[in-house]
Amino acid sequence: MPSLSLWELAVGESRDIVSICSDTADGAVQRLIDIGFREGQRVSCVMQPGFGAPRVYAVGGATYSLDKQTANFVRIAGEAGR
Amino acid sequence: MTDVLLVGAPNSGKSALFNRLTGLKHKVANYPGITIDVGKGCLSSNPQVTLWDFPGTYSLNPVSAEEQVAIASLRSALQDPQDALVAMVLDATRLEKGLTYCLQVARDAAIAGKAFVVFLNMMDLIESDALELDVSGLSAALGVPVYPVSARTGAGMEEAERGIQQAGLGVAPWADTPDALITGTAQQISERFAPAGDLLVRRQARLDQWLLGTVSGALAFVIIMTLFFQAIFTWAAPLMDGVEALVIAMGSSVASVMPEGVVADFVNDAIFGGLGAFLVFVPLVFILTLIIGALEDSGYLARAALICHRPLSVFGLSGKSFVPLLSGVACAIPAIYAARTLSSMQERLLTYVAIPLMPCSARLPVYALLIAILIPNETALGGLIGWQGLVMSGIYFFGITTALTVAALIGRMSHEDRTGQPFILELPAYRLPVARTIVRTALNRAGHFVQKAGSVIFAVTVVVWILGYFPNGGQDLSSSWLASIGRFIEPVFSPLGLDWRYGVAILASFLAREVFVGTLGTIFGIEAADEDPAPLADQITASGLTVASGAALVVFFTIALQCVSTVALLAREAKSARFAVALMAGYLVLAWLAAFGLYQLVGVLLS
Repeated sequence: MPSLSLWELAVGESRDIVSICSDTADGAVQRLIDIGFREGQRVSCVMQPGFGAPRVYAVGGATYSLDKQTANFVRIAGEAGR
Repeated sequence: MTDVLLVGAPNSGKSALFNRLTGLKHKVANYPGITIDVGKGCLSSNPQVTLWDFPGTYSLNPVSAEEQVAIASLRSALQDPQDALVAMVLDATRLEKGLTYCLQVARDAAIAGKAFVVFLNMMDLIESDALELDVSGLSAALGVPVYPVSARTGAGMEEAERGIQQAGLGVAPWADTPDALITGTAQQISERFAPAGDLLVRRQARLDQWLLGTVSGALAFVIIMTLFFQAIFTWAAPLMDGVEALVIAMGSSVASVMPEGVVADFVNDAIFGGLGAFLVFVPLVFILTLIIGALEDSGYLARAALICHRPLSVFGLSGKSFVPLLSGVACAIPAIYAARTLSSMQERLLTYVAIPLMPCSARLPVYALLIAILIPNETALGGLIGWQGLVMSGIYFFGITTALTVAALIGRMSHEDRTGQPFILELPAYRLPVARTIVRTALNRAGHFVQKAGSVIFAVTVVVWILGYFPNGGQDLSSSWLASIGRFIEPVFSPLGLDWRYGVAILASFLAREVFVGTLGTIFGIEAADEDPAPLADQITASGLTVASGAALVVFFTIALQCVSTVALLAREAKSARFAVALMAGYLVLAWLAAFGLYQLVGVLLS
């Protein structure tokens, strides 16, 4: 299935998560899974705060701020450029 | 059941629930990661039952050293052969967040033969938004009793208390569930029972558009922080005046009934002069803690941390350092503990470097005293802005800027790459602060401040009074034992235009900064023994402290690390006594040099 990075999700859009990068031992990946960024879950990009702050995403009824490096661990359904 | 182990995800309201059940004063806030150590208390309605409040974690898979310790302590408690009940706290508005952890703990508790229940917290929000949550269905799906409660309003608490004390609570039916199935099962249960979270997320997002927007967010941040610093001084002023008037009135009435002699002099100079001078500033600590508590409870602090992420990264820190740094405005000790939420040791060390420079509440009495001496009590803009409050804001700004600059310089010197630190921050729901909780926390903090600093100040005051009163019975302070000691160290402080009295007070303040005020109060109390009692600031003004020396004192106290407890905790948390001692010595030298530079500069400008 074509996928793109969560960081590419535009503000106000929602997509399903297709995978979480598991080829790294980074604790951030484990934390993402723990808080609900799992395959099949719907994720929305709520906003891009000012001052270049990390973006805000909603998943499972909760909101989290993720920076680019962390958001790139999450792959969502879709094709680049869409 | 004699033991209840309270567990849950960060920000699920676990500590608030613990406080409800025990009546204790555990620190509660609307910010993830507030519980640092395992809290202990007895159930209010039945002291035979002990509650253990475990730090919040998102799962049994630790991603930091601190989580490893927290999870190890929970596992150890589960394996304890003693009978215990495990109570999982779930946030009803964000059910999915805690369900995986809930099932993991339920399984381990079942394997250990421990009974398991769920407290479904924040039901007040579910009800106020008319959301639907099938509690009995959730209970059936989890196979354990589920008690809908609200730690904020107290709703459902009596039933929950009765529930956890009833006999025959069983273990959860998850003992044989492998890890691989737990996440999927949690997701299925969540999809079936979680309330439609969209409403809460959308409502939160509307406020976030304002508070996190570039222009509106910056404006809100500046207004909130300005009000914060102004309020500390402005709101506390009437309370401080009241305490001061009370101390002076008590001193006068006690002096009028006591026969003249050593005891009367001691009561006047040491008790009312020294300890009384310190007590005047306690309302400041109360107001400071009250405002920080309100900001935390409202959910704004996490947003402030987010807004500060990019600016703080310029100094080698991240948004996650914001809360430890802001906590440092109250006290360095909880701030150092709060830095445990930072996942990288490098970032944590840089935060440790910055925390002692944050303008903590122990410095507040010193600043307030010096401002009262140096700055006229006048207002501008029709009374909206007070000059004293404005200078206080300036001192705070200077302290914070110094903290960040020093952290940045040390970060640059370490040459370590900090760009690779992942950033994940939960944004808690906005909510109205509960006055009862934040007032109780502020009173607790002020009481702790008096208890901790007051005992040290009293001891130092007694020693300073004895050294200042003898050998000539308080007739001539300049020929006392204290003056001899003061003159020995005078060469260190005379380049700042400060005589031996200030040298002695600074020396004493290395036990705790607030001691400075108490020591000066005692010294000036002995000196003005025959005069009517007057506020310490008036006595120091009359003694002729120059503006340059006063400014030098402010800068010295802004930078110097004079708190023994902070140094000891830094050594423990950084796992390096060398780091803590080097920080203390470095800040002392920097403080003296900066004070000397400012003294010279002000001297030149005023001449």
